[in-house]
Amino acid sequence: MPLITLDRLTFTYPQGKAPALREVTASVEAGEVILVRGASGSGKSTLLRCLNGLVPHHSGGHFVGRVIACGLDTRHHPPRELGAQVGFVFQHPEAQFILEDVESELAFGLENLGLPRPLMRKRIEEVLDQVGINELRARRIGSLSGGERQRVAIAAALAMHPQALALDEPTSQLDPQAAEDVLQVVLRLVLELGMTTLIAEHRVERIAPLADRVWTLHEGAVAQAAPREALSAGGARPPIVDLALKAGWDPVPISLAQARPMAASLRARLPAAPSNGAVREPGATIAEISGVTFSYEGRRALAGASLRLQRGELTVLMGRNGAGKSTVLKLLAGILRPQRGRVQVAGRVGYVPQDADTLLFKATVREELTGRQASSGLEPWLDRYPRDLSVGERQRVVIAAAGAKRELGFELRRRAGAGTAVLVATHDVEWAARIADRVALMAEGEVYADGPPRRVLSDSLVFSTQVNKLLGKGWLLVDELPIGPA
Amino acid sequence: MEAANAMSFGPLAWIAWALAALAVALIARNPFSQALLLLIVANTWLGPSRRTVFPVRMAVILGLLPVALSLAGSRFGAHPLFSLPSSIPLLGGRWTLEAALFGATAGVALSLTVSILVLVQARVSTADVLALLPRPLYGVGSALALALAFVPQTAATVKGIIEVGGPAGGSRGWRAAPSLLMPVLLTTLERSLQYAESLDARGFAGRRRTRYRPSRWQPADTIALAAAAVAIAGLALSPPPAYDPYSRLVPALPALASLASLLPLAIPALLETWVSPHAADHA
Repeated sequence: MPLITLDRLTFTYPQGKAPALREVTASVEAGEVILVRGASGSGKSTLLRCLNGLVPHHSGGHFVGRVIACGLDTRHHPPRELGAQVGFVFQHPEAQFILEDVESELAFGLENLGLPRPLMRKRIEEVLDQVGINELRARRIGSLSGGERQRVAIAAALAMHPQALALDEPTSQLDPQAAEDVLQVVLRLVLELGMTTLIAEHRVERIAPLADRVWTLHEGAVAQAAPREALSAGGARPPIVDLALKAGWDPVPISLAQARPMAASLRARLPAAPSNGAVREPGATIAEISGVTFSYEGRRALAGASLRLQRGELTVLMGRNGAGKSTVLKLLAGILRPQRGRVQVAGRVGYVPQDADTLLFKATVREELTGRQASSGLEPWLDRYPRDLSVGERQRVVIAAAGAKRELGFELRRRAGAGTAVLVATHDVEWAARIADRVALMAEGEVYADGPPRRVLSDSLVFSTQVNKLLGKGWLLVDELPIGPA
Repeated sequence: MEAANAMSFGPLAWIAWALAALAVALIARNPFSQALLLLIVANTWLGPSRRTVFPVRMAVILGLLPVALSLAGSRFGAHPLFSLPSSIPLLGGRWTLEAALFGATAGVALSLTVSILVLVQARVSTADVLALLPRPLYGVGSALALALAFVPQTAATVKGIIEVGGPAGGSRGWRAAPSLLMPVLLTTLERSLQYAESLDARGFAGRRRTRYRPSRWQPADTIALAAAAVAIAGLALSPPPAYDPYSRLVPALPALASLASLLPLAIPALLETWVSPHAADHA
């Protein structure tokens, strides 16, 4: 008997014009790992929130069909009862923390279950070891990094001994190393405990090798398939799947480990990548930070950082959480002032923060975009309330709206092509390799590598693309490889 | 166990202390009593268990705001500071020392109120508040937990919105305040909903809660509770004389008993400084 059953589930949010989920029928067996993928707004979060009853108990809306999770019908059991069966990890970990320190946070769910203190202590000690966060137990939540917070969130859910775990894009805010740490925790839970896991993730290359099945959401409808078939068919997929299809490898590998033996002959005959691809002529410098030092209440964020932005150039700034990326952006935008060093900016700067909500407050997307034509892809949302959109959709609206509000936006490639200097902080290496003219890597408040993507990303152990990890020789992307089907 | 070692009084003792201090702050408008309470609150904040930075700027602004409003709004008093042409609507006329002093007493009361609330928030954890509540009041507990969590989160929201230039795309400082209201309200509401979802998803209010770190009543808690009772009794039995600068500029000195009844409120500060913190309640 399946652990979770979704039976002809159709759900529409209050005032939603179209269903967020349509006729979803699926089941999850105990111990299975399900990768949930789909574009922004396709219904991934909504689907996961159905499993612990947040939909419809908190969302309201029109709910047709049923969801049976661990023997409980979610229509009749509220989240406070389902929560002990289906652990839930939210996309923004700070949204789910209730208490001030890690150990209290781990105990919170157990206190709510009414467990005796010795049993709580036992479970907390176990989960600290399972998730590998014992060194964090006395820390205050506010002092944790993004990756540490997500691991604590997973541990807090796990401490309640749920039968299944639902994770809503748990690595979306994390740098590659922190994301890897979180996924190692998930991997350990799956392999050692056989934990039934449903995980929504944009960057599927991280999860695909673990998954038993892939649920692909498109406009609220779910298509189910084994990972190899699902990823081969299309949609968001690891670059090595694209490489395998281009090179004609069969069966299609979905992890680097599977791909390595297949890639051996290709690697041997592949020439070195052209040194720099199409190198752009540098434009005039229009923004520069030079030897800048900045501290937040005694905590050093930048230690002599220097960076130059040139007209028409799209620069991607990468580095682990806390490396100083956001501080550089805020200095250039004039939000912060350097405590030492120099910041020079010619012209106006538009700034799009990581948290899109600080810029969305109008009644509709159309009002947010006043004075500007809707960018391609935004039309379906024009009459929707911006905060009803998914996180990814909100960011797209903010980026489009920034151009309208501040005459200088972050429409990235198009904007750079039009002569704007664009600086983007991101953790997505594949995207950076595809879009950037220049990549700068930061650590400990300094820029320690700065140059064309091929030079910076092909020489990095962490900030490197899957193709580069597999083939080396300076190659970053599948599209640029001089190969055809075998 | 940073938080555990930092507390030398139980949550109930702190809440009782805060209620007594708030009663004095809101009722006693005598400058001598206010000055004494201000000293006590400042010393309590500076005790070894403080965990956050005190919002000095906010307290000062709250203290000065009533002064400015009183000065601008009142034309009464025998001691003019300066005069503006009477042709200026609303603001024209004499600006008086009496109006400034009247506003100052209100400002000090406002600053004291906020300072006491911030102080208690820094000393009493959300877990403590939730643990104090009986099951029928779990709903109230949710609201209290939300209130405790969202004071700092709302401040962070305001900061975030101001950082991106405010909703008007450029107005900063006080001019941006009206336009900040709606985004801050929306964001705070949305985060409140997320917080409520998290409480529910993690089983809060599902059944009778147990406590991982039960608080144990300590002698220090009894002393703090007694101190709060003395302060309240002093306020009721020997209230400090009211201060009305319009009728008499120099405030009347309160009776010795009235001032003495406030002194026990300093006991937490004294004990926190001189007596080693007891961590047993969180062992």
